[in-house]
Amino acid sequence: MNREKNNNKGFSAARVATDGVLLGLALIIFIVELAIPPLTPIPGIKAGLSNVITLFSMFTIGPVDTLIILILRIILGNIFSGNAFAMVYSFAGGILCYLTVLLLKKILTKDQVWVAGVFGAVVHNIGQILTAVLITKTPAIFSYLPVLIVSGIITGLFTGLIATMSVKKVTLFK
Amino acid sequence: MKTTDWIKIIGILFIVSVAAGLILWFLPARGKTANIYVDGECIKSIDLTLVSEPYEFTVTTGDGVNTVRVEKGRICVVSSDCPDKVCVETSWISDSGMPIVCLPHRLVIRIEKVSHADDNGFDAVTR
Amino acid sequence: MTKFREKRIRSSLCLGLLLIVFSFSACEGAAGKARTPHTSTFFAMDTVMSVTVYGDETAADEAEILVSDLEKKLSVTDENSDVARLNRDKSAVVSDDTYNVIKTSLELSERTDGAIDITVYPVVKAWGFTTGEYRVPSLEELGELLETVDHRKVDVSGENTETGENTVTIADDQTVDLGCIAKGYTGDAVIKMLKEKGVQSAIVNLGGNVQTLGMKPGGGLWNVGITDPFDLSGYAGSLYVREKCVITSGGYERYFTSENVRYHHIIDTKTGYPATSGLASVTVVGDSGVICDALSTALFALGLEKATEFYRNSEDFEAVFITESGELFITEGLRDAFTPLGNYENKKITVIEHENN
Repeated sequence: MNREKNNNKGFSAARVATDGVLLGLALIIFIVELAIPPLTPIPGIKAGLSNVITLFSMFTIGPVDTLIILILRIILGNIFSGNAFAMVYSFAGGILCYLTVLLLKKILTKDQVWVAGVFGAVVHNIGQILTAVLITKTPAIFSYLPVLIVSGIITGLFTGLIATMSVKKVTLFK
Repeated sequence: MKTTDWIKIIGILFIVSVAAGLILWFLPARGKTANIYVDGECIKSIDLTLVSEPYEFTVTTGDGVNTVRVEKGRICVVSSDCPDKVCVETSWISDSGMPIVCLPHRLVIRIEKVSHADDNGFDAVTR
Repeated sequence: MTKFREKRIRSSLCLGLLLIVFSFSACEGAAGKARTPHTSTFFAMDTVMSVTVYGDETAADEAEILVSDLEKKLSVTDENSDVARLNRDKSAVVSDDTYNVIKTSLELSERTDGAIDITVYPVVKAWGFTTGEYRVPSLEELGELLETVDHRKVDVSGENTETGENTVTIADDQTVDLGCIAKGYTGDAVIKMLKEKGVQSAIVNLGGNVQTLGMKPGGGLWNVGITDPFDLSGYAGSLYVREKCVITSGGYERYFTSENVRYHHIIDTKTGYPATSGLASVTVVGDSGVICDALSTALFALGLEKATEFYRNSEDFEAVFITESGELFITEGLRDAFTPLGNYENKKITVIEHENN
């Protein structure tokens, strides 16, 4: 049973359970991430570690479920952490990362998942800066771009490698 | 694409960003005018080189109050009633690298070359 | 689960997602419209006025019509206006608006012990402020004219609730001019009309009288600048306000110089001379335009000490005072809202406490 093609088979118990577990993991990572001191003085910009779930899911259970988990994670995570403000940032970073990984998935092998991780993270950060500039209407925030691209590459590598290993090790869905 | 190609691409991106970051960091202080923006509009401009004695003032927005402290050559937000206090934690800024941002209050303090406050910084002028 | 049920769940999920995205963009769109300002700038009551309304496309123009309508009733120079007829016939049936303005002015005259008085018009005329033919009247002339200045002689008891016709009567030697509160009253009328139309965010500037409705569309407070009385192109400070009126009076607005002496237009109702109270400008902040308008003139004439006492006995306004020597005083309610600017940035600001020490 190739799970990737499961999109059309409806919400089986197994599917709901899997999605639920991944959502739970994503939320935990999200909350933990909030405890990390901000990289920049601009509030709302986070490290994007939760994107490891997006990465992993994309290469295992497919884009539809990944999107569902992503949106739920963003909404629930931000509401429960009490900071509705940050939701815009999460959406900007999360959705852009999702789209990037979705596109790259077509040309990457399972060994190259980490590449999607890097680009996903970088794009995630760019999305957050864009949002910050739009909200505060100060283009000067773009000056953080180099810092955030570099940190994006680093966290992207980190989450990417984790995701790569997990994807290769996972046999449940093969 | 081969993995090595990807490594090359990411490597180049990394180096370029580091270079850009270093250049921005070491850029000579572009000006010493602190511009205070609320909601994108410059509401106040302070020439930090002309400050003799330190002083404080408050900026009140519809969402709350920030107290700003000005000293010769530098400026900071010394207190705020916003929920996250990131603006206060940013502490002093003395050049154009980093702005002080209070997102809940839509307040941004940046050090730039010239004043960006203009007459239209006011919504109206009483006389 | 049947295929149909699965499909249903899938489609409702997709629909849900679409709705979320859609509502986000709809909010953005609606927010965008609500943030668009529409401004009407026009000339009325001898000055330039502007009305800026956010979100409503026609309200600003309607405000202009309302102002023009009020001017026709309240103007002292328009010979068909209520005021002109009253001055000519000494007793006249006037419109509700005119009646209200006169009544309110009398209440304020009582409250300020005559510091503001619509019957001071003959004195103002004598100085030439209405015609532009400035002159310094003699003490005798002023003495005679001052005899006519008495707000208590204005009779507004002629209110007829049956016919709806209100009669105002003044003494035979009196003439009145509603200029000291007309703009404040007009501002209040405009704000009221806008509110009735459902407008949530607007700012009007009637020849320097600023009145606001709600907050700025983004949720921020209005930033109102106060002109520096010693440098009319500069600012003394700024006030952040939410739905308040900010009205300033100062001798610098209108004056003439004769033999090296400056005579300004705010006449002291007791002496007949331009008020020499030691103040360069007074800015009054409050909810009512007509009260702020009247008080800014009255407090200017009264001077800092009496104004402070007046403030301590009142609950409906705050103020900023700038003295002739350039000192800055603000009432305690403005502590957070006021920011000094320009030449006043490093100056000492004295806060006037409300309670007597």
